Amino acid sequence: MAKRTLSVELNRVEGDLLVKLEIEDGVVTDAWTVGTTYRGFEQLLLGRAKKDALVITPRICGICGTAHLYAAVTALETAMGCAIAQNGTRVRNACLLTEEIQSDARHAFLMFTVDLCGPRYAGHPERDKLHEAFAPFTGRVYRETIVETKRLLEVVAIFAGQWPHSSHMVPGGVVGAQSRRSLVKALSILDGYARWYERTVLGCSIDRWLEVRSLEDLDRWIDERPEHRDGALGLFVRVARDVGLQRLGRGSGSMLSYGAYFDPARWQPPFTERHCLRAGGFHDAATSRIEPFSQADVSEHVKHSWYRDHAPAHPWKGETVPSYEPEGDKYSWAKAPRYRDNVVEVGCFPELFMAGDPLIESLYRAEGVDVFTRQLARLHRPALSLSLLRRTLLDLERDLADPFYLAPRDVDEGDGAGLVHAARGALGHWLQLREGKIARYQVISPTGWNASPRDSAGVRGHWEQSLIGTPIPDESDPVELGHVIRSHDACLVCTVHFVRTGQRARFGAC
Amino acid sequence: MPTLLWMQTAACSGDSMSLLCAESPDLLELLEGHGVELLWHPSLSPTSAADLGRTIDRILADEIDLTVLCVEGSILLGPDGTGMFDSFGGRPKKDLVAGLAAKAQFVLAMGTCAAFGGIPASGPNPTDAVGLQFLRDEPDGGLLEREFRSRAGLPVINLAGCPAHPNTMVQTLLWALSGMRLELDHLHRPTEFYSTLVHQGCTRNEYHEFDVEERDFGAPGCLFFNLGCEGPTTMATCNSILWNNQSSKPRVGVPCFACTSPAFPRAHDLFKTNKIGEVPVVLPLGVNRASYMAYKGLARSAAPARLLERKSKL
Repeated sequence: MAKRTLSVELNRVEGDLLVKLEIEDGVVTDAWTVGTTYRGFEQLLLGRAKKDALVITPRICGICGTAHLYAAVTALETAMGCAIAQNGTRVRNACLLTEEIQSDARHAFLMFTVDLCGPRYAGHPERDKLHEAFAPFTGRVYRETIVETKRLLEVVAIFAGQWPHSSHMVPGGVVGAQSRRSLVKALSILDGYARWYERTVLGCSIDRWLEVRSLEDLDRWIDERPEHRDGALGLFVRVARDVGLQRLGRGSGSMLSYGAYFDPARWQPPFTERHCLRAGGFHDAATSRIEPFSQADVSEHVKHSWYRDHAPAHPWKGETVPSYEPEGDKYSWAKAPRYRDNVVEVGCFPELFMAGDPLIESLYRAEGVDVFTRQLARLHRPALSLSLLRRTLLDLERDLADPFYLAPRDVDEGDGAGLVHAARGALGHWLQLREGKIARYQVISPTGWNASPRDSAGVRGHWEQSLIGTPIPDESDPVELGHVIRSHDACLVCTVHFVRTGQRARFGAC
Repeated sequence: MPTLLWMQTAACSGDSMSLLCAESPDLLELLEGHGVELLWHPSLSPTSAADLGRTIDRILADEIDLTVLCVEGSILLGPDGTGMFDSFGGRPKKDLVAGLAAKAQFVLAMGTCAAFGGIPASGPNPTDAVGLQFLRDEPDGGLLEREFRSRAGLPVINLAGCPAHPNTMVQTLLWALSGMRLELDHLHRPTEFYSTLVHQGCTRNEYHEFDVEERDFGAPGCLFFNLGCEGPTTMATCNSILWNNQSSKPRVGVPCFACTSPAFPRAHDLFKTNKIGEVPVVLPLGVNRASYMAYKGLARSAAPARLLERKSKL
C-alpha cells in the first residue's frame, strides 16, 4: 500500500484541531498537529490595569475558567509579593477541585466514551451495554452526567457567584467571607455527587475503590461483584482492554506537573518553594527519575510556529510576532513549549503520578502512559478529589472566623508566574507589571504542551509522537486518532497567543 | 422536525458550558420535548467534523431545512478581510456563518462575542473581530448588514452575556420553536430577559439604599461607588434568575462588569468606579445627578448601626 497523507478535523476537543497524518500500510508514520483558530487574546491585556487580568483571562476558556482565574491571581500575587488569606486559598482550591471533578465526568462520558458507541465497535459483544450506558443523548450514564455535573457546579456558584466565568479570586484571597449555611449547602451537594459517583461510575464505595492499587487489584475488583463489572468504570476497563486502548497513544514518555492545589498555610511570600497538596515534578523518560520542577526551565520555541523566529526563550523574555508563511517549515499557531528542551506530556496522569498515587505509579510501571491509563486516571481522580474537597470545606467551616482576604500593599512593578493545575494539565500565566499596568502576558495552556508542533531541533511535539505507529484501519472513520487525542482531554480554545500592540503581520490564506 | 445547528466561531466554549447548566427546560428536555434534531454541536455531536462540512453543504443547497442557527463566538474578519484567522475545512468561518444565516428561520447570537464582538473586539482588536449584526453598539459594523432578517422576519436575536445566562438561552429557544411572539430591544435582545437591572434583587441592596459603600473587597456593603460595579446600569437577570440555582457575582462580592452590554469589556480599570467627587460618573439608569446626590446624603445620615457595622448578612 502506498504512502499517503490524510487531514482530519477533530471535534469534541473544545475548539478546533486539524491533524495531518502520513499513513503507510494503514499505520501512521508521521503527524503534524495544527490549531486552526487564532484569537489574539494576549494583546488585549497589554496596557490594562493589572486586576483586569482576573476578568479577561478566565474568558480564554469556558471549560477551565476557574483554573485560568487561579493562575492569573497567582501570577499577580507572585509579582506583588503579597500574603494570601488561608481561607482564600481554601476557597480557590474548593472551586478548582469542583471544576476538575465535573470536568473529569464530562470529558469521560460526553467526549470520550461516545466513541465506543460508534460503528467501529458495533460488533463488540458488549455493544448493548455500551449503548445503554454511553450512547450520546440517550445513554443512562451520558444523561446522568449532564444532570449531576450541573448540580455539582452549584458549589462553585456558592463561592464564585456563577460558573463559568467568575472573578472572585483577588490578590490577597477571595472577594468575600462565607457563611456556615453556604458551607452546609456545599457539603450536601458534594455528598450527593459522591453518592452518584459511587453508584454509577464505580459500583462500590470510594473507600473500596481506593484499595485498588495495581492492574492485578483491578482484575480482582472487576471479578468481585457484578456492580463493579458493569458500572461505568468497569465497563470501560473491560472494553478498553479488549479493544486494545492500552496499546495506543504512548508518546514522549516524559511528564510534567507543576503541582496542584496550593497548601493554604505554606504557599506564602516569598513563594520560592512551591507548596502544593499534590506535589509536582518532572519525570525524565531517559533517566526514569523525578526531579523538582522549576519554572525558570520552561521555554518556548517558534521555529515551526507562525511567529517571527527567535531563539528559544522563557515566557518572560519571548516575543510573539506573527509571521504566516504557508510554504515554509512553519505550520501551527501553537508555539512549542519545552522543559529543559524536553518534550513532555501534561495532564491528569502526570499530575497523579508525580503526587505519588499508588494506582497510577503501578500502572506506569506495568505499561506506561497510553490511552487506557490516561482515561482510567481520569475516572479514578474524582475518588481522591471528592475527599480533598470535603476536607477543604470542613476546614473552612472550622476556621470560618478567620479572614478570607488580606488587603495587599499596592505594588506596581514586578514579574509573576501563576502556575496551577487545570483539569487537563499544567497551566501557566506569566506576566510583567510596569507602572501598575500589564506590560507582558503569556499563557501556556495544558493543550499548548501536548499539542506542540516541532521545536527548534525538529523534535516532534507530544501528540505528534503519540500518533506515530497508530493503526488507522478505516481512513473514513479514524476513531483511533480520536482516542489518542481525546485521551489527553484536549482543550483547543485555550491555545491563545498575543500579538504585541502596534505590530501587524501579514497573513495569507491557509 | 425542527433542526438546530450550533456553530462555534472564535469562542471559549463558555456559552456551551453555560447551556449545559440550563434548567426549565434543560438541554435534553429542550431537544426531546420539541423533537429537535441537533444537526451539530462541536462539543456534543457524536459524528465527525467531516459530517459538519457535508451538513453545511446540504443546508446551503436547500436539502436540509435549518430552523435555528446558534452562533457562539466572535466573527473574525482578519487578517486583511480574509477571515482566515478562524477557518474550517479551508474555508473562513465568517463565510460559512453568513451562508447559513441566510437559510435559517431564526439566528441566535449566543453570548456577547457573537452579539457584539465581545472581548476579542476590545482594545486594539487584533483579529478584526465583530458580532453577527453589531460591532459593539454599532449596527453597521457586524458581519451581516443592518437590514438582515432571518426567514422568520427577525434580525439576529442577541442573547448577550459573557457567558449568556443558561435559562435565557433555552427559554428563548423554546419561544422560537413554539412560535410565540418575541419582542426585542434596540440592541435586538429579548425584552423579557433584558429589561431588568442586575441591581434588582442584589442582596447588597439594603447597604446601597443607605449609602454604605465598600472601598475594598471582603465586606458585605455595596460595590457600586468604588469597586466598579455596573449592576445599577446593566440589563440582565443575574440577580432575579440566579446562576446555577445559587447566586450571582455581585452577591458574593464580584462587581458586575456589564457583560451583557455592547461596550463589554470597558477600557478603564474593571475594579474601579470613575467618580466626580464622591459620586460615580455613570449613575443608575435614568437618575438625575442633583437629586441623586441629595438622596445619597440623606440616606447616609439615616444608615442604621447594623449596616454601618456590617452586621446584616448577605
